[in-house]
Amino acid sequence: MKLFWKEHIPLLLFYILQMALVPLLYWLTGEGRPFAIVFYGILLSTSILAVYLGYRYLSQRTLYKQLNSPPALEGEALQPMGETPLAEAVYKLFGHYDRHYQEEGHRERSRMDQHIVFINRWVHQMKTPLSVIQLMVQELEDTAADSVREELERLRKGLEMVIYTSRLERFEQDFMIKPTALQLVVNQTLAENRQLFIRKGITPKIQLEGDWKVSTDPKWLQFMINQILINAANYTADTGKNVFIRAYEQEASTVLEIRDQGIGIVKEDLKRVFNPYFTGERGRQYHESTGMGLYLVREVCDRLGHKVELDSEPGVGTVVRLIFGKDGPLRS
Amino acid sequence: MYTILIVEDDTKLSGLLHSYIRKYGFDAKEVESFDDVMESFKKTKPHLVLLDVNLPKYDGFYWCRQIRTYSLCPILFISAREHQMDQVMALENGADDYITKPFHYEVVMAKIRSHLRRVYGEYSLGHEEKKTEAGTLVLYPERLLVTYGKTGAELTQKEAILLEALMAKEGRVVSRNQLLDLMWADHHFIDDNTLNVYVSRVRKKLKELGTQMAVETIRGAGYRLSSEAGDSI
Repeated sequence: MKLFWKEHIPLLLFYILQMALVPLLYWLTGEGRPFAIVFYGILLSTSILAVYLGYRYLSQRTLYKQLNSPPALEGEALQPMGETPLAEAVYKLFGHYDRHYQEEGHRERSRMDQHIVFINRWVHQMKTPLSVIQLMVQELEDTAADSVREELERLRKGLEMVIYTSRLERFEQDFMIKPTALQLVVNQTLAENRQLFIRKGITPKIQLEGDWKVSTDPKWLQFMINQILINAANYTADTGKNVFIRAYEQEASTVLEIRDQGIGIVKEDLKRVFNPYFTGERGRQYHESTGMGLYLVREVCDRLGHKVELDSEPGVGTVVRLIFGKDGPLRS
Repeated sequence: MYTILIVEDDTKLSGLLHSYIRKYGFDAKEVESFDDVMESFKKTKPHLVLLDVNLPKYDGFYWCRQIRTYSLCPILFISAREHQMDQVMALENGADDYITKPFHYEVVMAKIRSHLRRVYGEYSLGHEEKKTEAGTLVLYPERLLVTYGKTGAELTQKEAILLEALMAKEGRVVSRNQLLDLMWADHHFIDDNTLNVYVSRVRKKLKELGTQMAVETIRGAGYRLSSEAGDSI
């Protein structure tokens, strides 16, 4: 309505001018008319104008409404805006832009899809040479072979990270929530990372007695625990330390807590640990981490409806908690 | 003699698997032409097939279906893809199991054995059960039993893992990290001190058996099973 009036201000001004002009003309020529007649004339044409404006407003109401408050852009088709030439022209123009951006979106999406497919294929191709190297050094027993194995492990982890990062883009088609035993997933993840932990002399202390089950996707849960454990190992400097893993109940949620005795995180960095590519001072020193681990953990948690918390004290260690809703994900 | 057909287009990987499988007393054949895997299959009449998913021409799923129309022999997929969907596809196309790259020899071997046993019977592998021998000492890891002559001793699972590793490399040093690695692989996440405890228990059991063999501590390197009683600590 406001827009409508704004739009018609010039017309109204022009009309008032015109209304004043006619009596002025009569008055100048000296033809005196009674004021009532003049006023009546003005009233008559004003009501015609009002009818016109009313009609105009009604016929273009949708146009004004849409111009004033744009409809939600998500997945809504363009609505017709009325029958008037102006409304149709605007509709056409919008339609033109709409198609253009739709096409652009499609192109962009298919490019992204192709890129993801390429990355996935590439990673899988890299796994064959990795297997070959692994089999070749498996039989060898010297320090060089140990070192090669260590680097292989890193390569494998790196490739896994790439796969999971690109999977994140297609998350909707890539998860299945089911009751998952925490102990089993934790044990498997630790067994997979045993080389790293043994080399660093870190022993896990697990308190998962009883039957701790949470509703989640086992594959993604394992991925998250993996990232947290790798961080715990990488950011622990001395040997003989532990990583404590336990589960407990908390206000209708199950919490999986992973506590390390590592170097910890300084206060000013705490806010940034979930940012992509954040490594902190030590990560940069040792080139140990990509800084993507915790970022991915949070992304996965968001998508699965879990929560993740992190507390840390420099020199004491870091605690990461994964919080699972009681009856399935916190949101569907 | 069991024959295993290896369908893997990476020649190096194929060759490594080939020589390793032979070492374990099986016969292995590699497919040379991927135009017609069935041809090789009919010619070799293998007891088990290792099949890669990504092959030139047709993928492994296709060949798996082809083989299934002809034979019920165990088919194990080897693949870089660990996507659940792929595993489902593999099993739906008639495969029996799935090994993801990169893999360890032990995993491949264990799966080959278990599938051969399942299909061709418990005693078909030419020996009743897995056993490790060192001198006159015999370990039956599946029964958690170690024998020396007529006497035997029961072991816990953890002791059996340790003893098996030491016996397999009799006379050579097994590093502490290797022992820890084996324990951890079996989900016993123990530290150095606990490892010492288990080693001393194994020592005690060997003593009870009355064998001359002893577990020596090699400073800075690890442990060694020797036939002569060394200066154990």
